[in-house]
Amino acid sequence: MTSRPPESIILDLPARYSYLHLLSDCIADMLLLVDGIDDREALLYNIQLAAHEVCTNIVNHAYHNSAKGRIRIVLTLHFDDPALQIDLYDTGISFDFASVPTPDLDEVRIHGYGLFLIRQLMDTVTYTADRGCNHWCLTKSLCLEGCGSR
Amino acid sequence: MNMKTRVAADVNIVELSGRLDTNSVQPVAAWLDQVTATPGARVLVNLAETTFVDSTALATLVRALKRCQQVQGDLYLCGMRRTVYMIFELTRLDKAFNIFVDEEHAIQALTG
Repeated sequence: MTSRPPESIILDLPARYSYLHLLSDCIADMLLLVDGIDDREALLYNIQLAAHEVCTNIVNHAYHNSAKGRIRIVLTLHFDDPALQIDLYDTGISFDFASVPTPDLDEVRIHGYGLFLIRQLMDTVTYTADRGCNHWCLTKSLCLEGCGSR
Repeated sequence: MNMKTRVAADVNIVELSGRLDTNSVQPVAAWLDQVTATPGARVLVNLAETTFVDSTALATLVRALKRCQQVQGDLYLCGMRRTVYMIFELTRLDKAFNIFVDEEHAIQALTG
């Protein structure tokens, strides 16, 4: 069987909330290229929400909502063992991702759900800060119908 | 995102359609601040046509719930789509809110 090469989309957006729906639209269009995704509606929503939360974190915390920065996003759709990888780059203020605690969900809280959702909704999440460039990498397997639990 | 507000049976109702997120939530937050300032406020947020809810929207709803509780009022949610409800389950906010399948059932509970 011939292997189908990955397909990529690159977005380079001003760090403004008003453009974030474009990322959701791209994710939806990419997933349409894969047939037989198990519970497509939920999977799409979860990936869109995780990617959106990363972007709002960048706008809010990396750039302090200054509207001066940019977010470079590379979406890569893998067809063999279907998966979506989303790489997001910013040049704002970095933070210690590993030190952010998981919220106590028994307590009804107003803030603190963003990073929790990103971690919960994706299969892998990494964050690295190196020489002024911050890099998020999110991956999610696109489990096909009949492949069992995700 | 579109919002429509009205009052029925002394319940302040808002219907939200489209994306309820960081970019769109401000007018909803302002309306919720206004209606939850009244002692005994009864508020219903109808999410039947809401396609997307992010953590800022969750924060806005939790804040309104707490404000309502402070004035001995009630804030209920209704009509949530499955994908949105799954986020409430994941964050366990489904335990914090009274959530109803539709507006009719929510108003019955609020006015009963």
